[in-house]
Amino acid sequence: MNDAYRSRAHFFFALALTIICAAAQANSIIIDDSGTQALEPAVSMRWKTATPARSMADNVMTGTTTVRVRLNVMPWLRHSGRIYLSLPAQQPGPIRLSWLTQGHFQPGQVQSGNRVLVYSGLITTPFMEDTLTLNFVVDGALMRRAVPITYHFEMDES
Amino acid sequence: MRAKTPSLGALQPEAMAGHPVRLSRVSLHPASWGAALIAAFSAGASAYTVTLDPASPTAIYLQVGVGTFTQDYCGGTSYPPVHGTPNCGPNYGGGTPGNNATVNLVSGSVASGSVGNGTAVAMTTNSTVTNSYLDGYLFCSVPAQLYIGGFYRTTGATTAAASVTATVPSALKDATGDSIAFSQVQWTSSGNGDSGAEPFPAGTFVSGGVQTVGSMASNSWNESCLTFSYLNTVVAPAGTYTGAVLYTMSAP
Repeated sequence: MNDAYRSRAHFFFALALTIICAAAQANSIIIDDSGTQALEPAVSMRWKTATPARSMADNVMTGTTTVRVRLNVMPWLRHSGRIYLSLPAQQPGPIRLSWLTQGHFQPGQVQSGNRVLVYSGLITTPFMEDTLTLNFVVDGALMRRAVPITYHFEMDES
Repeated sequence: MRAKTPSLGALQPEAMAGHPVRLSRVSLHPASWGAALIAAFSAGASAYTVTLDPASPTAIYLQVGVGTFTQDYCGGTSYPPVHGTPNCGPNYGGGTPGNNATVNLVSGSVASGSVGNGTAVAMTTNSTVTNSYLDGYLFCSVPAQLYIGGFYRTTGATTAAASVTATVPSALKDATGDSIAFSQVQWTSSGNGDSGAEPFPAGTFVSGGVQTVGSMASNSWNESCLTFSYLNTVVAPAGTYTGAVLYTMSAP
């Protein structure tokens, strides 16, 4: 292997590593949460205020449910990672989700179309579990009937 | 509840090919292959779905004259409210509506020398309601005005208004059977601080019919103050003439 060939090989190797690292940093993977259980079959949405305001501005509906989240993080065992709760933009329109936890994950809130960090650190167990109390807030003008809302957890690897 | 469950069989080759970077990385650590493949399989195959169900979202409230709220809806009994909207309701110190069976009286007297002269006679009410239950705002004047108001709470963006109708007898009658057509009673509509159209506009009773006297746009508080008068265009025998008008709210 002459110097020119070795130099070119090093260049491509370095370039490949750079591309790999850059791509890996941006890589978010949806976590298998098939072990998650909801304690209620649906979220009963009720008016935040039963009586409307004179200005029609008070049209907020809110509902709470509890889920036992169980995330399969075995692929990242003994690695550091950042776990986000992601609420994609979806019908019926803007949604705000806030949640409380039992301490394993971080509490927080997110607007649809965004994600929020719920865990950052070393993955020490193949499954991560917590009980989350989810509170959904949506404009009642958008809620004519029952609507499915999808969210997921995703991993960013360190 | 679950939209999709992870399924290895559901994965297309393109799905696995979509993670070349992960495979490149694990090639440096052969021991991690299994984990990486599991991750690749599960990627995109799991998301949680909950159903937001608008449970019992519809509510209506109509108040003609005296009504019932445990206290003003928006934060107590004073104006301006302690808690500005939208922080109203029981969770913010506000009241909740209730049933009230009171039937208020609107009455007037015509002097014997003025019967049938065409000069309208102002009527007054025994209702004592002056303040809106929404926020305690001083809205009507008594005894000259009768409060009418309420709300229609429902979901959805383009909802037809709820209507309020009056079921009117054919005539006011006295003890001896004499009668005066109900169409002799009319009203104007206003409210302190109001401008523009009233949700319950001015009108005249239609004898022996059911007539629409107002509408309530969804998800807003609607209220007016009605000032009644007797048209006094007919000559009727002396007596006390009475009749009851029933107000009904109907939501679509």
